[in-house]
Amino acid sequence: MIIENLKLALASIKANKMRSFLTMLGIIIGISSVIAIMTVGNSLTKAEEESMSSMGANNIMVGVYTESDTAGEMPTFKEETMQGLVKAYGKRISAIGIDSQVGTGTARSQVSNDGKTTSVTVDGVNSGYFKANNVTTIKGSTFAKGAYENGTNVAIISDLFAEAIFGSVDKAMGQTVEINVDNNYTTYTVVGAYKFENNGTMGTKKSTVFYIPLKTAQNQLHSTDVYGFTAVAKNSDDSSALSADIMSYLQKILNPDNDEDIVIYADSLQSYIEEASKMLGQITIAIAMIAGIALLVGGIGVMNIMTVSITERTREIGTRKALGAENYQIMLQFVTEAIILCLLGGIIGVALGVSLGLLASSGLGYPGTVSMTSVLGSVGFSMAVGLFFGYAPARKAAKMNPIDALRYE
Amino acid sequence: MQIINGNRTIKSPSVIHAENIIKTYNQGTENELEILHGINLDIKRGEFVSIVGQSGSGKSTLMNILGLLDRPTSGSYFMNGQDMNAAPDKALARIRNKSIGFVFQNYNLIARTNGISNVELPMLYAGLSPRARKERAIELLHMVGMENRMDHTPDELSGGQKQRVAIARAMANDPDVILADEPTGALDSKTGHMVMDIFHRLHEEEKKTIILITHSNELAAETSRIIHIKDGEIVPA
Repeated sequence: MIIENLKLALASIKANKMRSFLTMLGIIIGISSVIAIMTVGNSLTKAEEESMSSMGANNIMVGVYTESDTAGEMPTFKEETMQGLVKAYGKRISAIGIDSQVGTGTARSQVSNDGKTTSVTVDGVNSGYFKANNVTTIKGSTFAKGAYENGTNVAIISDLFAEAIFGSVDKAMGQTVEINVDNNYTTYTVVGAYKFENNGTMGTKKSTVFYIPLKTAQNQLHSTDVYGFTAVAKNSDDSSALSADIMSYLQKILNPDNDEDIVIYADSLQSYIEEASKMLGQITIAIAMIAGIALLVGGIGVMNIMTVSITERTREIGTRKALGAENYQIMLQFVTEAIILCLLGGIIGVALGVSLGLLASSGLGYPGTVSMTSVLGSVGFSMAVGLFFGYAPARKAAKMNPIDALRYE
Repeated sequence: MQIINGNRTIKSPSVIHAENIIKTYNQGTENELEILHGINLDIKRGEFVSIVGQSGSGKSTLMNILGLLDRPTSGSYFMNGQDMNAAPDKALARIRNKSIGFVFQNYNLIARTNGISNVELPMLYAGLSPRARKERAIELLHMVGMENRMDHTPDELSGGQKQRVAIARAMANDPDVILADEPTGALDSKTGHMVMDIFHRLHEEEKKTIILITHSNELAAETSRIIHIKDGEIVPA
């Protein structure tokens, strides 16, 4: 019975191709817009989440700045402040990363002296920086404790830098590099190398970053001022709470008078992600509502065409009843037809939406990710639309008086 | 004949037994119109009966009632001894399916559906398996000489061919009675004779009870009994 109804439905849809297509259009537009937006949103979220987690989802960016130009009064993170912070929240923090950029300059080898140079950003970092920023050495090691304490001229370079200047990472170890920043020449001994990773839009270009100990940088800058650092939460679930705690702690220490000009922030990437997906969720709801209206209009179209189709086939219904069809059998036939009509519309809509979504995602420069939930949900929903809007016309057909139906011209 | 009251069944050799059937349209309104004024009818198993009357005589109304497509306003109607007045609509649908085979003047084949599927339809509603349906449909189409065109849809068939498919469909569930309403009305006389020949064969070879509704005395003369109906009443010839 079900197979026969499916055959009948398909035959009826095929017999009126243009009309069926126009009827499906509302469903197609509704479903395809939902799927397209969902696909773009999904791709965007996934790409952002991946890029953020490569930065460290547990990271909390802490900083301070002033709203007005009252320079000099701006607080900085002093040694004792940092120690106090570690004392208060040390158990929930796995690392604190501080960096202080010396500047951008030109680097060249002192040994080969073949004139090869490359541009680098010289960045003084503390011991926690490497962990906080997911930088791992592939050769040599991070700085020794003494290097941090004494501010020695040692450096960790990227693999790309090593290949450009020394030919390979292995050859670079122990070599001396001369860096020229604003005509201040400094030489450093290479003690380690890290793997360059291009992590897309969010990451800094680590290929050009030339790491030196924080103290070394501070000596060159003649300043120990720290305006910002990265704290890494031990537990990612805690990062939102920890960022709030760090902010209120620093507010108390650095800005006890609650000067409105001074802004202290502690933002966790987790909270960025949460914020972003919340926004995306709101956009999705808005789109879903618009699509819902499109589907409502589409559904009314289906109801309309089913009513027309049933009127046209009144004699057929009469004949079926004369041949012994019970009301539920007639009802089932037309409900099936409405559901199949909507299902076809839904499938076309999904195909169209996925293509549009993937096209838009690649246009925005993200790898496309199709949400299977939304695909299955849409197909299911389109069937529900068919059931809902096909019910009333099918009921009308089922309740027809057989003689009146047979006599219908 | 013995009628058992209360039990709503009668012991009778009749396939159809109608008593004092009255059909009134628009009852209780200004346009109240009595079409049938008390019809008494008894059709025995294996009879080939014709009901003859002019248009407007009430023969179509009578056929609708006999075919369980409509109910009488009053009177009793027994089919195979069962009281049809007492049967709910659902039961009437089942009896139409199993016990009655309709043949209409305008064929009423399902459009866009091929001959074999049309013949299968009553068996589909009866709940037969696809295989059983197909076997029986082929057998019936063979009987009416349509086995070579069973894949054709109605719009690919001539009037006579359509009516032959319709007769095969009427026979699908081996009904107790075939109700043929002006089955040759839309056909030329040669094709009409061919269709009548099929009815004769069904009557003689299959021992079918056939009720032929017609306005043509010539066609009626071919049947074993003629019932004349005029102005809603059965009249002597």
